[in-house]
Amino acid sequence: MFEFAQWLELTQISVTIKSVKWIVPAVQSVHIITIGIVFVSLLSIAMRVLGWTRMDQAFSVVMARFTPWVRNGLVVLALTGGTLVVGEPIRELMSLSFWLKMSLIAVGATSAWLFSRSLRPLVRTGREPQFSPAMKTAAMATVLLWLAIIFLGRAIAYDVEVWGGLSFSPRA
Amino acid sequence: MDFLIGFAETLQKSGISVWMQGSLKALPIIESIHVMAVITVFGTILLIDMRLLGLYDTSRPFTRVFGEILHWTWIAFAVAVVTGILLFIPNAPRYVVNTAFGLKMASLVCAGLNMAVFEFTTLKKVALWDKQIPVPLAARVAGALSLLLWTSVLVCGRVIGFTKGYDFSVPKDLDFNFLQSCLECLGRLHLTNI
Repeated sequence: MFEFAQWLELTQISVTIKSVKWIVPAVQSVHIITIGIVFVSLLSIAMRVLGWTRMDQAFSVVMARFTPWVRNGLVVLALTGGTLVVGEPIRELMSLSFWLKMSLIAVGATSAWLFSRSLRPLVRTGREPQFSPAMKTAAMATVLLWLAIIFLGRAIAYDVEVWGGLSFSPRA
Repeated sequence: MDFLIGFAETLQKSGISVWMQGSLKALPIIESIHVMAVITVFGTILLIDMRLLGLYDTSRPFTRVFGEILHWTWIAFAVAVVTGILLFIPNAPRYVVNTAFGLKMASLVCAGLNMAVFEFTTLKKVALWDKQIPVPLAARVAGALSLLLWTSVLVCGRVIGFTKGYDFSVPKDLDFNFLQSCLECLGRLHLTNI
C-alpha cells in the first residue's frame, strides 16, 4: 500500500491538488458541510424510527424527504473524499483511522440499503411500519456509527498520536 | 490586543493547558469530538433554516420543526463550546492572532445575534405565521443569514487547521502501545474516582 501511495503522490493530478494551496482546504470544507447534511438526514430518519420526532408525518414521507439528501450527499462525500485521497495519498492511505472509517462506511451504507429495502413492501401498500425494539436499537447504532465515522475522519490527521504503534503511518 | 495576548499567555500557563500539552492524545481526541459537535449543530440548524426559507417541511407548523430539533442543537452546541475552549487554551496566543479564528468567532457572534433578534422579535409573533408559507420576510432573512453564518463558522474552523500549528512541541514517544495506554488511562480514572 505504501508503494501505491508513493506512486499516487507523484502523479500529475496529485501534484496539482497539492500545489494549488486552496484546493485541499476548499474540498475539506465541502466534505465537512456534506457530512453535516448526511448525518442530520440519517439522524432525522433514526429519530422517526425511535418515535422521538416527526410522528405527525407518515414514515414514507420522512424517508422521501431525507433519502435523496443521503444518497446525493454520499456521492459528494465520495468525490471530495476521493480528491483528498489523491491529493494526500500517504496521509490518508497509511492511516489506521482512514481504513476504520472506510470499514464503518461500508457497514453503514450496507445496513441503510438493507433497511430501506426491507421497508419497500410496506411503503408500496401505504401501511405505517411498526418498529420492533431491534429496529430501534439498530437506528441508535446507526447514529453512533456515523458519529464514529466523523470522529475517525478528523483523527486521520493525528493517526500516530491516537493509535501509537498500531498506526501504519511512516515515521519521520 | 496587548491585553488579549497577555490573557492568552496566562491561559496557556494554566494546569489544564500544561496537561494537554504533555498529552499525545488529548488534543486530537478533543478536536475530533469538537468536529462531531459542530457538524451536529450545523446540520440541525440547517433543518430549521430550510423551513424558514420555505424549502422543506412546509406542511408542518414552524413551531413543531423548531421545537423538536432545537434541544439537540443546544446539547451539541454545549459540547462544541466545552471542547472548543479546551482546544483554545493550550494554543491561546496563536489563536488570538489567527485571522481564520477571528472570522470564525465573528461569524459565531453574528449567528448568535441573528438568533437572538429572531427569537425576541419575529418568533414572538409566530402564532400569526406558524402555518403560513412563505414565512414573513424577517424570518426568511434570519434563515438565510443563519445558513450563511454557520457555513462560515464551519469553513473558517477548517481553515484554522491550515494556518495555525502548535504553539508547543508535542511529546515524541510516538510508538506507544495503544492497548496499554488505554488501560493506563482507565486505571487513572479509577484511582481519581476513589
